[in-house]
Amino acid sequence: MASLLKVDSLTGVTTAGSISVTGEGNSTTTNLQQGLAKAWASYEMYSSDTIRGSFNVSSKADNGTGDSTIAWTNSMQNGYAVGSMSSENLFVCAQQPRGNAYNSVLTTSSGRVFTISDGGSPLDSNVNLITVHGDLA
Amino acid sequence: MASELRVNTLKDAAGNNSIATSFVANGSAKAWINFNGTGTVAIRDSFSVSSISDVGTGNYDINLASAMANANYANSGMSADLAAGAYVSYESPAIITTTAIGIYIFTSGSAIIDNNLIAVNFDGDLA
Repeated sequence: MASLLKVDSLTGVTTAGSISVTGEGNSTTTNLQQGLAKAWASYEMYSSDTIRGSFNVSSKADNGTGDSTIAWTNSMQNGYAVGSMSSENLFVCAQQPRGNAYNSVLTTSSGRVFTISDGGSPLDSNVNLITVHGDLA
Repeated sequence: MASELRVNTLKDAAGNNSIATSFVANGSAKAWINFNGTGTVAIRDSFSVSSISDVGTGNYDINLASAMANANYANSGMSADLAAGAYVSYESPAIITTTAIGIYIFTSGSAIIDNNLIAVNFDGDLA
């Protein structure tokens, strides 16, 4: 029987920040809150400094060539967020940019992210995609 | 009191932002880890990761607490070395099982290095 739950907020009963979800194999459970991406952003650096789309991102600062700071709307619990990033520069094909992160500036409220070329030089990239996992404060 | 809710679709109270619960299960990361790969390797924070192993220079195994349904899940990761560049790569040939993956950290010059910040997440189906 199909079912539909209309609700604005989900909270665990035993622990408010912990809801168990049964996985795809119908046996193992996973933690809903810990598994959810806490932020993502698609942004441009090459021709303009623009956030194309985002979730839980309040702003993006341009610190210089290939150097951006992404600020989270809701803070993370610690500075140990797990980011994954890919970037592409359609206009500088000879220099394939790579996403990178500078650990000393990962904080609860932002992540500083660098894009660099294959040769290790800072490079403004056209397409930058970042996803952040971790624990919210 | 523990409780279990069985439902196919979630919506907000206004009836908007509908999402099937299958998307909640499929779309959630099944594991993630942030660890220090230099010296004695140490997990800073993680979800559903049982342990990591320092296999050799720039070479680590990440072991999952809950097995995946198959070895066809997706990983992505990031590492940090502004000067040399640092990238997370599978071992070659790839070591990807339902309970573990092996990774290498490469510089942009293809050197293998230990690195301070290594972050990897896992998306796919749980067993």
